[in-house]
Amino acid sequence: MSTSAILQARGVVKSYGPTPALRGVTLAVDEGEILAVTGPSGCGKSTLLHCLSGILRPDAGEVSWCGQRIDSWPEHRRSQLRRGEFGILFQFGQLVAELTAVENVALPLLLSGVRRRAAVTAATTWLERLGVSEVADQRPGEVSGGQQQRIALARALVTEPRVLFADEPTGALDSLAGEQVLTELVRLARQQHTTVVLVTHDASVAAYADREIVLRDGTVDETGLGLHAVPAGRAVHR
Amino acid sequence: MRPGTLLRLALAGTRTDTARVVLTALAAMCAALSILSAATVFAISGWADQYTNALLIEPGLRPGTALALLLLCIPVLALAGQCSRLGAPARDRRLAAIRLAGATPRQVTAVAVTETAVASALGALLGIAVYAGGRALLHRPGPDGRLPLPTDQLPPAAAIGVVLVGLPLLASVAAAVLLRRAAFTPFGVVRRQRTRPPNPWPAALVIPGVGAFVVIEPLARWFQRAEAPMPLWVLSLLLGGGGLLATIGVILGTAWLSHTAGRVLHARGRGPATLLAARRLMADPWTGSRVFAALLACVLVGAGAAGVRAWFTAGFEVEQASNRAWAEAAGETYLDDSDRYAFYYRAFDLINAAVAVAVVIAALGLLVFAVEGIVSRRRAYTAMVATGVPRRTLARALSWQMLAPVVPAIALALVVGLAMPRAMSREARSGRQSGTVCEADDPALCEALDSPYLRTVETPEFVQPVAIPVGQLAVIGGVALAAVTVSLGVSLLFLRSSTDISDLRTT
Repeated sequence: MSTSAILQARGVVKSYGPTPALRGVTLAVDEGEILAVTGPSGCGKSTLLHCLSGILRPDAGEVSWCGQRIDSWPEHRRSQLRRGEFGILFQFGQLVAELTAVENVALPLLLSGVRRRAAVTAATTWLERLGVSEVADQRPGEVSGGQQQRIALARALVTEPRVLFADEPTGALDSLAGEQVLTELVRLARQQHTTVVLVTHDASVAAYADREIVLRDGTVDETGLGLHAVPAGRAVHR
Repeated sequence: MRPGTLLRLALAGTRTDTARVVLTALAAMCAALSILSAATVFAISGWADQYTNALLIEPGLRPGTALALLLLCIPVLALAGQCSRLGAPARDRRLAAIRLAGATPRQVTAVAVTETAVASALGALLGIAVYAGGRALLHRPGPDGRLPLPTDQLPPAAAIGVVLVGLPLLASVAAAVLLRRAAFTPFGVVRRQRTRPPNPWPAALVIPGVGAFVVIEPLARWFQRAEAPMPLWVLSLLLGGGGLLATIGVILGTAWLSHTAGRVLHARGRGPATLLAARRLMADPWTGSRVFAALLACVLVGAGAAGVRAWFTAGFEVEQASNRAWAEAAGETYLDDSDRYAFYYRAFDLINAAVAVAVVIAALGLLVFAVEGIVSRRRAYTAMVATGVPRRTLARALSWQMLAPVVPAIALALVVGLAMPRAMSREARSGRQSGTVCEADDPALCEALDSPYLRTVETPEFVQPVAIPVGQLAVIGGVALAAVTVSLGVSLLFLRSSTDISDLRTT
């Protein structure tokens, strides 16, 4: 297990009723690293992301953040961690339909107690950085899917999290919009030295990562045969 | 589409769909019971001393009793309307699938309307059965042969017709009206949102509504001068029409109140909860009108009844003062007969009880709305909780969303409800009493008109302003607000289960 790891999972087991989703996953994610978790549908990718981000508590095993076990923390403490240190990007359905784009992005800051004016200013800056400032006053339903996902990315990054969890972030987008979102995600993560855990079943998306691990039937595939040929210079399951 | 196919498609669905049909049927049953009970009271004729209850005996009080029973229909029908929205997302998906299978938009609308019609028809039939059963069970004459309830009467056939045909028809029309803004496409159901914010003008209906009450007294005086009694239909039109206009005005005005509350919250609120609530209120202010309609109607009726009660009280007081003055002037012993007023107060207590029952039913409708609101948005809420939004922030947002528009709306309903009786008269007058009294010990000495023992006695007119029943209004407003708060509190119990983040994969 890496000593520089910001996030670690050790023997994580999780089942949904009688159906096992994870059967003892062990991995470590270094600070500033972009890790892609790939694998076929139903292999436990999203469950692993949920366990690493503290959304789910594993049935067995450990999840550590900066050396502290978070799987034993109560929900409110894990919730605080997600709000402060983590950013989370889902495939869709995460923006509040009634809020404007800028208000959606400002929401995490408001939750942290930042004053409205300061929060809106910061949110506007993030929308500009992601090239969607022209839709700042529009609601999610009034903008394209690609723009929605950029707004969601701005919201995930506005608190300057140390780890960004992205669950199929381009799954609902066409290839061009998906590529644009991923390019921005990687650029901003590198700029801010943010660690990224990226769950995808798409080989072209995984190619943006520094490293890829492959899940199969709830375990890390030690053969390292991912969904695609790993780009040169990148290791599979370090 | 064949009727059988239509029926099968209308009643297909999940457990939520079954729950919706059952709740709609139960609401229709309650409405049927209240209509049949009111019709039974109307069916009693003349002075009916075969009953033990004064409200049934006296012909003058029976219309009020029947009206109070009919008023219960309002929250019951509102509850039915609210129930019809249960499980709407799942139903929308089913209807879209039917469209995808080749049904026309009109056929899909027919499927949705048929579901409501069938549920209402079942409820109406059940209501008639419960009425018949209850009538047999409650027919318990006392030792003197008198009845506590009018179980010896049957409602007219027309009333049964109204229940059997009118109720399902009304429910179907209401369902069709509610669906008028929905476009059924093979990919889903699109509800056209009104983009313009509501304006306050519909609330202006309150003015002609209260105005109708203002003209009653001058009109009565005009008829008095013309030595003709005011026709009952004129009085009924002014009272009923005025009350209806004022109620509609308050309900429609609530949309503007909701929107304004949202704007104020957005401008003044600081936290994320107020921001979420403000935007939701501004996005759909019409929900406030629809959801609070029954509750506001109850508050308005309650406030109106409190105003009338205050007017009666002032009337009794000037009458007593006048009688006391007469007794003093005539040298007679004053006999306090205030006991007879208790009879009228009992009638007001009955109205208050009807309003309380109606508020409880309206609160059930609010509960259904609040729970449905949480459940139907559980995906968005769960995603927010997963990203670290505390549930208490969501709970606070939901509380603001419910309470911010309802507090001013209740205040408006109280003011308008009170304004109606006060528009008729704000003071009670006793009138002058004049007459002669015999001062002789032997009344026979006073038989002659010019008897020296006769003395003319006159009392002045006593005038008393009708008090504003602040206490009663506070109770009505407090009960309504408590009903909203309890509904909200119960609905928030569903927030935790609906935003269980371990269900994130399935929501």
